[in-house]
Amino acid sequence: MDKKLEHRFVKLLEANQNIVHKICRLYTNDKDAHDDLFQEITIQLWRAFPKFRGDSKFSTWMYRVALNTAITLYRKSKRQIDTQDFESLSFKIKSEEYDDTTEQQLKLMYDAVKKLNDIDKALVFLYLEDKSYREISGTLGISEVNARVKMNRAKDKLRKILNP
Amino acid sequence: MDKLDKLKENWQSEEHELPKVSFDKIYKMLLKKSSSIVKWIFVISIIELLFWISLYFILPEDNINMMKELGLERVMYYCEIFHFFIFGIFIILFYKNYKSIQVTDSTNVLMQNILNTRKTVRYFVYYNVGMTIAFSVAIDTYLYNNSEKLYEVMDFAKQGIPKEGFANIFIISQIIVGFVIIALLILFYWLVYGILLKKLKGNYRELKKINS
Repeated sequence: MDKKLEHRFVKLLEANQNIVHKICRLYTNDKDAHDDLFQEITIQLWRAFPKFRGDSKFSTWMYRVALNTAITLYRKSKRQIDTQDFESLSFKIKSEEYDDTTEQQLKLMYDAVKKLNDIDKALVFLYLEDKSYREISGTLGISEVNARVKMNRAKDKLRKILNP
Repeated sequence: MDKLDKLKENWQSEEHELPKVSFDKIYKMLLKKSSSIVKWIFVISIIELLFWISLYFILPEDNINMMKELGLERVMYYCEIFHFFIFGIFIILFYKNYKSIQVTDSTNVLMQNILNTRKTVRYFVYYNVGMTIAFSVAIDTYLYNNSEKLYEVMDFAKQGIPKEGFANIFIISQIIVGFVIIALLILFYWLVYGILLKKLKGNYRELKKINS
């Protein structure tokens, strides 16, 4: 195995690991499942790394591989949806705008996002990551128009989850 | 959707809350094995091949001698070689599927690869079940037509089994045993590959949703 390539890969992943953690948190519900998915994504990224030619940013490429892994290749039995990880989320609100209601609302919203199906979750995740529709369409391999339509549908679903 | 935008505002500021995995720990992860479904299909097919091969080693000597005396030894030998050759091809195909399912592929390519994997597994099961049925029918027909020879080789007279009607009783019991074996084989495939294929199908549906 090429040690230089390994070293380069690990350095890049270490610097960009937040992306993977955020995906793991969205797609799993406890620490074990989080670590498990993190490891699976790392393996898949490493397997795919020789094909990464650097024509896109490493982080952009990572979104694609990590989301595909979470959606398709990860064994799903380990991540049953439940809502008991409310406490572990602990959103930190900027002090000047802090109040219980805002925090509670954010928690409810986050919980609603977690209840979406895998694909909608991926769309909303990229939206939260402040990606343009062009980037979202590129990452998920769909047209820009389709990305917008799907995002609107996902928002509708979120509304329904929050106001049943 | 104001609430979602609020969550978005807050999203980036949370980054310091996320766990940090060290360089060394990530390095160690590269050595770990993937747990993807396609890999399991590949691993199970190899275990299955080893299982069938081991059966030939634990086959009693008497059985081999009986085949010899019935004149079936050569045919059996060629059948086994053919069977393992086909088995080998399937293992190569499973390995190729495992290698070709790369998460970087575009959604369409990934879907195509999932379909290919499912197809290979289906053909593998069809081949094995079909081969077992064909083989059983051929052997039973041969033994039925050579029932006198079989009666002598198996020394049924010594066991007090009458010669009259022996061929019919023999063939009926062979058919019953054959059905049970095939049913067990189908049950095995249904349990092992069925579960894995179901998961793959689920993943395929998820991918299809993206394009719908």
